[in-house]
Amino acid sequence: MNEDFEPTIVAFLCNWCSYAGADLAGTSRMHYLPNVRIIRVMCSGRVNPLFLLNALQQGADGVLISGCHPGDCHYLEGNYYARRRFVLMRKLLEHVGVDPGRINMSWVSASEGAKFKDIIEKAVEGAKESGPMEQFKRRKINW
Amino acid sequence: MVDIEDLREKARETISRDDVRCVFGWKRGTYGYESAPAVVRKPEDADSLIFDATCVQNPASFVVLEEKLPVPRGKEPDTRKIAVFVKGCDSRAVVQHLVENAYLRENIVVLGIPCMGVIDRRKAEKLFGESLEPVEAECSGDKVALNFGGERKEVERSDVLSEKCLRCRYPNPILSDIMLGTEVEKRAEDEFADVSEFEKKSADEKWAFWEEQFSKCVRCYACRNVCPMCYCIDCVVTKLKPQWTRRSTDISENTVYHIQRAWHLAGRCIECMECERVCPMNIPIMTLNRKMTKEVREMFDHEPGVDPEAKPLLASYNPQDPEEYIL
Repeated sequence: MNEDFEPTIVAFLCNWCSYAGADLAGTSRMHYLPNVRIIRVMCSGRVNPLFLLNALQQGADGVLISGCHPGDCHYLEGNYYARRRFVLMRKLLEHVGVDPGRINMSWVSASEGAKFKDIIEKAVEGAKESGPMEQFKRRKINW
Repeated sequence: MVDIEDLREKARETISRDDVRCVFGWKRGTYGYESAPAVVRKPEDADSLIFDATCVQNPASFVVLEEKLPVPRGKEPDTRKIAVFVKGCDSRAVVQHLVENAYLRENIVVLGIPCMGVIDRRKAEKLFGESLEPVEAECSGDKVALNFGGERKEVERSDVLSEKCLRCRYPNPILSDIMLGTEVEKRAEDEFADVSEFEKKSADEKWAFWEEQFSKCVRCYACRNVCPMCYCIDCVVTKLKPQWTRRSTDISENTVYHIQRAWHLAGRCIECMECERVCPMNIPIMTLNRKMTKEVREMFDHEPGVDPEAKPLLASYNPQDPEEYIL
C-alpha cells in the first residue's frame, strides 16, 4: 500500500438524503477527506452502471453510490432498484479482475452528516488499498 | 427424434394459415458444420426445412427483428402472426421475450422441437478439419453421427457437442403451440463448475486473462447482433449522444463494451451461446454471462426464460435483497 497515493472517489449522491447529508457535514464544520468528487443525482435509482464504468475510465480510483435508507426513498422504490443493480455490477467487475473495494454503496440520510464523513473515509481507505486504477483507464493515444 | 417430413408438413400447414406471415426455421447450409437459418413465406418453401444436430442458430432472434420492422409511409403494418421453430434453449428466449413484452403471446406461433444437442463448429473443425461440403449430423444416445457427403463418421457426444448442450437442462421446449416428435429426457445438471473454477483465481490473474481476451476484440458487434435478448432499436454502444463507449478498439473501450454487454444481459441471458459461437476472435464471452446467471440464481433465486409470468429481474425488487456489501 502506497501511503502517498491519494485516490479520487466519484460519489453519486441522491438529492434528497445523501446530498443533504453531505451538506449537513459541511454546515456542521465536519472535516471530511477532500478526495471525493460529488455528483448530485435525483435518486440513487438514476445512476446507470455505465456512469460507474465511465468514471473508472476517466481516472477515478473508486466510486461511491449513496441514497436514502431502504424504505425512505423520495420516489418510494428507487434505491431498491439501485441495490439490485449494483450488487450485480460489483460481482461482474470482480469477475473481470477489478477490486470490488473500489465500488462502494451506502445509505446516508439527511441527518447523518457524521455517517457521511465515515463513509468517505472507508471509501478512500478501500481505494488506497486497491491502489491506482490502471486496468481500463482511458489512455492518451499519441498517433 | 423429429421426423423431417412431419416437420415440413407442420410448417406447410402453419404457413398456409391466413393469419401467419412467415415461419423461421433452418435449412441446409452451403458448406461446413452449421445449417443456415430459413424464412418460409410460401407453402412450397417449406420443403427446404430441416432439423438435425447442425441447427445451431437461435431462430428466436429473428422474431424480434421481424416484429420491429419499420413500416413505410402510407402502408398498414402487417399484423399477421410469426411462427418460429424452437429448440429447448430457443424456447427460453421466446419466454424471456414474453416476460419483457417484446411481443404478445397471441402474435406468435411456436413450433417446439425436442433437441438432443447441437454440434459446436470449433470442436468439429478440430477433429475433422474444415468441410467444404454441408455436413449432416444426427445425435442419438451418446454418439453423434456425422455425414460428410456420404462418408459417415461417428464420435462421442462430448467430443463434438456444444458446451451448452452438455449441460442442458431444458432439452424440451418450455412453451409451444405445436409440439413435434417425442420429448427427450434431461441428461445433465448445471452446477456452474466452470465459473467457480474461474472465481478461484486472484484478481490479477483474472485481469491478465481478460486483458488478453478483450484486447483481441475487433468490436464487430456480432455478439450483440446475434443475441436474441439484444433487441433495442437504438443500442447504447452505437449511440453517439451520449457516447458511453468510444468506438476505438483499445483495451479501455473494449473492456467497458464487454462489461456493459454482460451487464445488460444480467438476469436475462438464456444461455443459447450464440454470442460465443459467432465471435470471430474466439473470446469466451459466455464466461461473463454465466457469472451473471450464477449470481442471479444464488442471490435472487431467479432463472430467466423459464416462467412467462415472471417479472423481469432488474425491473422488480424485494425489500429483503442482499445488502451485506453496503457500507
